[in-house]
Amino acid sequence: MAAKSMTLLWGSGSCPCWRAMIALEEKNLQGYNHKLLSFDKMEHKSQQVLDINPRGQLPSFKHGDNIVNDSYAICFYLESQFQNQGNRLIPDAAEERALMYQRMFEGQSFYEKLNNVIYYDLFVPEEERHASALSRNKEALKAELGLWEAHLQKSPGSFLAGSSFSLADVVVFPTMAYLFRFGLSEGRYPKLGEYYALLKDRPSIKASWPPHWLENPKGHEALKDF
Amino acid sequence: MAKDMTLLWGSGSPPCWRVQIALEEKNLQGYNQKLLSFEKGEHKSKEVLEINPRGQLPAFKHGKIILNESYAACLYLENQFKSQGTQLIPEGAAEVGLMYQLIFEAQPLAQKIGEVLYYNWKVPEGERHDSAVQRNKEALKEEMKIWEGHLQGCGDFLVGKSFSLADVIIFPVFAYFIRNGGSEERYPNVAAYYKKLRDRPSIKKTWPPTWIDGPGMGTLKDI
Repeated sequence: MAAKSMTLLWGSGSCPCWRAMIALEEKNLQGYNHKLLSFDKMEHKSQQVLDINPRGQLPSFKHGDNIVNDSYAICFYLESQFQNQGNRLIPDAAEERALMYQRMFEGQSFYEKLNNVIYYDLFVPEEERHASALSRNKEALKAELGLWEAHLQKSPGSFLAGSSFSLADVVVFPTMAYLFRFGLSEGRYPKLGEYYALLKDRPSIKASWPPHWLENPKGHEALKDF
Repeated sequence: MAKDMTLLWGSGSPPCWRVQIALEEKNLQGYNQKLLSFEKGEHKSKEVLEINPRGQLPAFKHGKIILNESYAACLYLENQFKSQGTQLIPEGAAEVGLMYQLIFEAQPLAQKIGEVLYYNWKVPEGERHDSAVQRNKEALKEEMKIWEGHLQGCGDFLVGKSFSLADVIIFPVFAYFIRNGGSEERYPNVAAYYKKLRDRPSIKKTWPPTWIDGPGMGTLKDI
């Protein structure tokens, strides 16, 4: 069984890890070997991770001898190798497929802008921090949220690429979930709220929901005033 | 087919170059194209914003389809035109896995080059710190060492024995590094790969026009 020759090292709440786990669920690859590691305890820099991923980052993923560590790479790899099992994650129709690719890569900009706000203090050493920079990052994220609200308004269906769930949703949903975890108002961003509500109970997403979010249902408030 | 395509691009931009290489490799010569100037702010012009509200290049249209991210455009072109031109996605799980791994690993490489080259452009004067500049340079050095390692024992191409999306996407980044003063002595494997591919027809034909006029800035010479 293919899943038995797979190993995923992951951390709870990491969007990249979550993307890989959603993809594995969607492709019916439950049963893969996995190990939950702690970023706080620096376990992502441990030997077992470095043996698979010299960059000391999570997710780290092996399928037999094939090592694929980047979350988008894992998603594309799994869909290409297991196209005919589980859910099809890349649409056949050219327009839908193109929209999927477009949203996936815009999703990287989205994720980066979110991190530049919620992880500002983690990324920037204390002596280099400026209120003006954080303020600018918040404005950039607000603009980005506006773009995604508009994307969802214009989408031909309820999912990012149209009427079917695709790799665009696999890679972008975790970022959306983060917005609400950090207090974003569904009232002010109704389309984002609808999208989140639609997908949060999808089996693959529910099955891979960050365990520490379940333990601590109360999130953070960094985006409450957006 | 190519007649229904339009590419708005800027010279010397690795993302734009990738799409041009992919179009050549897939035998889609004859697409409509317009060279715009970043310096004159033309990437923020109405004609770009109509295709790409983010005001970035490349901006690419194929009929009603719009793809403004270079990876998205390259993946779309390979999948849509699989049976013509060069096959850009290999067969076999190991090579497919390696190809996807490398193209996404290339993103931190491109980003770190940008953090060094564009520091003063991205960071307002009151927010600049020598400590940040130093850190960015160290990070790029470390990243280049990783790639020098990846290319150890590499054949003519990044993945296996054939030209693939990995080369489409990553060659422009190495060329950009070298153009901006990156050392061929310190990174001999990168330099060798660069020299092997720079005369490939799709690459030669789309070589940035602004690079033909003379040498670039040596900003990266100490990396």
